Amino acid sequence: MYRGREGQWAFIFHRVSGLAILFYLLVHVAELAAAMWGPQYSNAILGFFHTPVFRLALLGIIAAVLYHALNGLRIIFMDFTGWGVKYQAKIWYGVFAVFLVIYIPVLIKILPEIFRGH
Amino acid sequence: MQVNVKIKRFNPEQDNRPYWSEHNVEVSETDRILDVMNQIKWEEDGSFTYRRSCGHAICGSDAILLNGVNRLACRVLVKDIGSNINIEPIRGLPVIKDLIVDMEPFFDSYKAILPFFMNDDPEPTTERYQSVEDRAIFDDTTKCILCACCTTSCPIFWTNGQYLGPAAIVNAHRFIFDSRDQGTSERLGVLNQVNGLWRCRTAYNCTEACPRDIPITKAIEEVKRELLWRKA
Repeated sequence: MYRGREGQWAFIFHRVSGLAILFYLLVHVAELAAAMWGPQYSNAILGFFHTPVFRLALLGIIAAVLYHALNGLRIIFMDFTGWGVKYQAKIWYGVFAVFLVIYIPVLIKILPEIFRGH
Repeated sequence: MQVNVKIKRFNPEQDNRPYWSEHNVEVSETDRILDVMNQIKWEEDGSFTYRRSCGHAICGSDAILLNGVNRLACRVLVKDIGSNINIEPIRGLPVIKDLIVDMEPFFDSYKAILPFFMNDDPEPTTERYQSVEDRAIFDDTTKCILCACCTTSCPIFWTNGQYLGPAAIVNAHRFIFDSRDQGTSERLGVLNQVNGLWRCRTAYNCTEACPRDIPITKAIEEVKRELLWRKA
């Protein structure tokens, strides 16, 4: 593994989270499209996706969207301002700080619901 | 001090795949990594092959992947690395033998951005005047020594060898922002192609790797903005 620093990891996480979001959207659209064959099919598939495994994975998707959005702002700063490149590593830590501020309450709210089976 | 050196070796005439050779050598802590390599070549294994020329970080011959990062072997001291030294050829270019890679694709990208002064105006009788401020705009990017540390540290270049790479863009920057040069639109045309400037995903490995401390990502972003605002 190349021992890159913040920028390399920001890029790798951005790419992986982007691919995860893309894959989720494909599955999501396929699931919606199943309604074309009637509610018995779409409801069966929807029930399958409501099992705890997929609901936990959905928390992963929320994390991916959140990181991708926040790091996207970092990239906008780098692309469109003269100072973004200079402070990119610090902004990346900021991305994580904001990520945690938003994501931890999400976990506190949703995790118990998943395990209680709501 | 005693150091343990692992080197990724490959001899196309004997080996099917690369292997690691291991050497325990006694060196001074103020030796350069290049001195360590020389010691191994001269005293242990004469078949160990690498490029080196000036040994003073100006010819750009001895770029290596040193403990996971691209460095010039002549610009790093043993004491900065410690006693475990891992040496590999730089990535993304075909290995010819041991640490020697085929640099032609790298130089092709360099040539593609027209790395020479272009100005069709009649030559003035005096010098082509440039203010100190105008010269300062591209001062950093004049320092490139074409060692390929940046380009071969780039994750995009590893997976897409057609990408022009940071070194080519740095050298384009040097002429694009030169107030005396008139080839900007031609160069931006080259950089605007599929495997040009826009492949850069700002991973910053290039900036970390540059032995000349060129702020490479900053330069690439400046060229991106120049291209964007010109087209807009």
